Amino acid sequence: MNWPMTRQTNRQTNRPTSRILSQARKELVQFSRDRLTVALALILPLGMLLIYGYAIRLEAKNIPLSVQDLDRSPLSRSYVERLFATNQFIPAPLIDSSPLSSLDHGLAKATVVIPPHFSREVAEGGSQVQILVDGTDVNNARVIQNSIRGVTNFFIQSLPNSVRPEGIRARVRIWFNPGRQESLYIVPGIFGVVLWVFPSMLSAIALVREKEQGTAIQVYASDLSSTEWLLGKGLAYWLVAVAEAAVVMGVSGLLFGLRLQTGPFPLLLGTGIYLAAAVSFGLFVGARTGNQNGAVQGTAIVGFLTSFLLSGFIYRLENIPFPLSLISNIIPARYYILLTRDAFVRGAGWAGIWFVLPILALQGFVLFKLASKIMQSMQLSE
Amino acid sequence: MVDSFLAHGTEAGGSAPSATIRVQGLHKQYGAVKALCGIDFSVSPGEIFGLIGPDGAGKTTTFQILAGVMEASSGEVSVLGQPPREARLNLGYLTQAFSLYADLSILENLRYQAGLRKVPQADFRDRATELLARMGLSQFPNRLARQLSGGMKQKLALCCALIAQPRLLLLDEPTTGVDPVSRREFWDLLAGVAADGVTVVAATPYLDEAERCNRIALIYDGKIQQIGTLAELQADLALHRIEVRADALGETEAVLQGAVSRASSALVDLQSFGDRLDILTPNVAQAKSEILQLVDQQKLAIPRLEANEPTLENVFVSHLRQQGADPIYRAFPFYRKPKALSTEAAAVAISADRLQKCFGEFQAVKDVTLAVRYGEIYGLLGANGAGKTTTIKMLCGLLPATQGGMSLAGETQNLHRAEVRSRLGYMSQKFTLYDDLTIRQNLEFYCGVYSIPQKLHREKIDWVLETCGLVGRENQMTGSLPGGWKQRVAFGASVMHEPDILFLDEPTSGVDPLARRQFWRLIRDFARQGTAVLVTTHYLEEAENCNRLAFMVAGEIVAEGSPTQIKAAQPGQLIELVTAHTQRASDLLRQQVEPWRVSIFGDRLHLVLDCPEQELGPLIQSLQGAQIEIRAQRPLPFTLEDAFIGTVQRAEEVSP
Repeated sequence: MNWPMTRQTNRQTNRPTSRILSQARKELVQFSRDRLTVALALILPLGMLLIYGYAIRLEAKNIPLSVQDLDRSPLSRSYVERLFATNQFIPAPLIDSSPLSSLDHGLAKATVVIPPHFSREVAEGGSQVQILVDGTDVNNARVIQNSIRGVTNFFIQSLPNSVRPEGIRARVRIWFNPGRQESLYIVPGIFGVVLWVFPSMLSAIALVREKEQGTAIQVYASDLSSTEWLLGKGLAYWLVAVAEAAVVMGVSGLLFGLRLQTGPFPLLLGTGIYLAAAVSFGLFVGARTGNQNGAVQGTAIVGFLTSFLLSGFIYRLENIPFPLSLISNIIPARYYILLTRDAFVRGAGWAGIWFVLPILALQGFVLFKLASKIMQSMQLSE
Repeated sequence: MVDSFLAHGTEAGGSAPSATIRVQGLHKQYGAVKALCGIDFSVSPGEIFGLIGPDGAGKTTTFQILAGVMEASSGEVSVLGQPPREARLNLGYLTQAFSLYADLSILENLRYQAGLRKVPQADFRDRATELLARMGLSQFPNRLARQLSGGMKQKLALCCALIAQPRLLLLDEPTTGVDPVSRREFWDLLAGVAADGVTVVAATPYLDEAERCNRIALIYDGKIQQIGTLAELQADLALHRIEVRADALGETEAVLQGAVSRASSALVDLQSFGDRLDILTPNVAQAKSEILQLVDQQKLAIPRLEANEPTLENVFVSHLRQQGADPIYRAFPFYRKPKALSTEAAAVAISADRLQKCFGEFQAVKDVTLAVRYGEIYGLLGANGAGKTTTIKMLCGLLPATQGGMSLAGETQNLHRAEVRSRLGYMSQKFTLYDDLTIRQNLEFYCGVYSIPQKLHREKIDWVLETCGLVGRENQMTGSLPGGWKQRVAFGASVMHEPDILFLDEPTSGVDPLARRQFWRLIRDFARQGTAVLVTTHYLEEAENCNRLAFMVAGEIVAEGSPTQIKAAQPGQLIELVTAHTQRASDLLRQQVEPWRVSIFGDRLHLVLDCPEQELGPLIQSLQGAQIEIRAQRPLPFTLEDAFIGTVQRAEEVSP
């Protein structure tokens, strides 16, 4: 009945890495048993990828445009055809023969008024076309204004030489994304958001759950150090995050036609470091909070707001006003997005992005150190 | 002081050469709240040391400091001759919630704990196999922790604490919410662990468990009030207990209660149970004659008197009363007229006739037949999974029965109807109060649930507040109330509509003895007003409060009757043995009789024998043959717990 009570004297011979690995192994087993968490870890990021990938379109398309052609000449008709040939506009009806009515009714975002003697005046050297633009949406108004201007210039250039005014011709060629496929711009940005928010949320929950359910007490009652504990947890959730990254990037390749434009090393290395930083951020939040609710809110709200708004994902970093712009400098997603856009769109390689890796590594290290510092005493807080 | 202990083992002389735990002047403060105000005690190697006390007395804080997971505010603590944090790898710590990972299997939980505590991989396999075999968990090493019963979880947690071969085990209420059979098994295992030289410190709300410790400390209000062996504590109380059994128990109680409140009387305290009264007195002879005299004056039937030792609960309650810890008792002001018991005495409130419930293939309840009359407290007892909760759910109409008939308040059809349900009250295991609502908001919610007319709301709520002593605190958050108070509010909420029939499902789990005693007084008041009460409980001492009891095993009722009848129906005799080698004697006896018949209580053995005249002689001879000296032996009366365990074990032997 009795078991041998010979006490182990060689306890110290166990390498610290084996404790970290056993911690990580336990986390992974626990994670895989909890079907809901597994589903959340893989399905939510995919859902977000699909929603953002398909829903966010910054390009202005299908703008309703009404035309009042008072000239009705072949020239005016070819001008109107040219306007709609851009595919940017769709025809909207003109109401009550008044250029303003269709704007007032919200049926058109812009109206073009072609004067009665348009073709004659063009032939004589110059005419004026009136363009009324709905300025409610400031951004779109500018897009409409520019694009009608562009079409008009193009139209003028296509006229017989006799009437064309002399000037400098700009020949534009689009570099990096020749088809101007917008998803190529958006989707790599989504990686920055998704691969920050979900890894940090999962690791924060994993840490807080132990505090909430009291299993942390058993850990405190052993002599495991906070660094060992957090490294073990972090390692497990880093592996989960790598799986998430593989799924998200793989699906993007299938659905949005994303292809690597350069060698894979900057992306692989950078993603690994970025995920480690995200997991460290989760551990930091988990160390600070005492309940799962706080952990989810902390990682989701802070993660979303910063990686969405202050990272250059959608809004140009240069547009962020002064004190806020300082914050954007410490947002890891800002640097990671440079890297993903390079890998999938620009393909310029190390030259433009080498600094991203040391910055991300430093940020991850600082976050991990902070988390480890908070948990340092490995005791119950009062 | 600490320095001398660092050299423990080599130290010569001294009164306690190498105390496993030495605590001096321990203080702990959380903000403005003083949890511990100067605690001193020491525990010797190989001792089982019990810590008992009401909720919030400072037990958990003490354990957390001993385990090194919390800093003390001041005072000296030495564990195994070291500060607690340095001793962490040599101690095992078991918390109330067992600290298991629900999603990990038995083996994975063990392996993780072994990894935390630096158990070499080579040793792990042997130790795990041995521990699991010892705890009876080896058949299913891959079952997930969340699929285990409460008793099995607790054994697994013990395995986890023992995997690193600690020299000290700290157990913080390890058996709360676990059924009696598992509890007794657990303590038998602990006795074995202690015999191997591991020191055990355990806190428990179950006073019968505390009796199994070598020494007991009573902690209250952050101080240790008393410390000693059970016999020392009993002697310290200097009171004897007289059990009074009479036919007209209510009238007898009223007469004796009057005497207790008189200073000149020899009767010091009276406690009422289901079919008996307990009197505490410093002088048995004087008290007996006083009782007989009082009863004779009132022309009542002569009661049967039996003198006994005071229980640990008597010690506990008497001591706390001296400290003024006893909450003031207020009777429930009834709005309804009491039922005329004489005419309706025979009327059956709850009845079940061959009730059955199957969940798929599994038969949870088999042929349960019972009847509860108005004014009666009926207890349903059983281990986890015996079918108690299923039965109570069927009876109060929450679950349809697979087969069999039942009636509630005279109705047999459509028991789910609002008219029937409005006459029922139900309080479940977890007090169904919302922690994040105030007390008043909770009570208002239940007024709505029980469709009490709007104009009566205020009156009823004031009534509950008054009874709970919470007037003026009704806007406090319910979550901030201590367990005992919360339970009274929950009880108040479930009886606000003055039900004729009351179902209580484990109403007192995790509530300390004082609050529990108050609570039963309240239930008795209700029963006297004519309410039929059906209660399930794990807590067998408390089952003494029931008028009638039924034991359930595997979905069947195996014994029924008053507490006295059930104890009397137990075959055989309980014998207490004091031997020189308790653990060896226990191991030896367990080879000769079924293991459940032998258990260790501190330095004594309890032995249940069906025919002591024939069996005892040979057993004692075999002990003496193994050079175990027998210092004392005497017969003891069965407790309800002994009866319960005996009944359950015999039932399981018949149908394994």
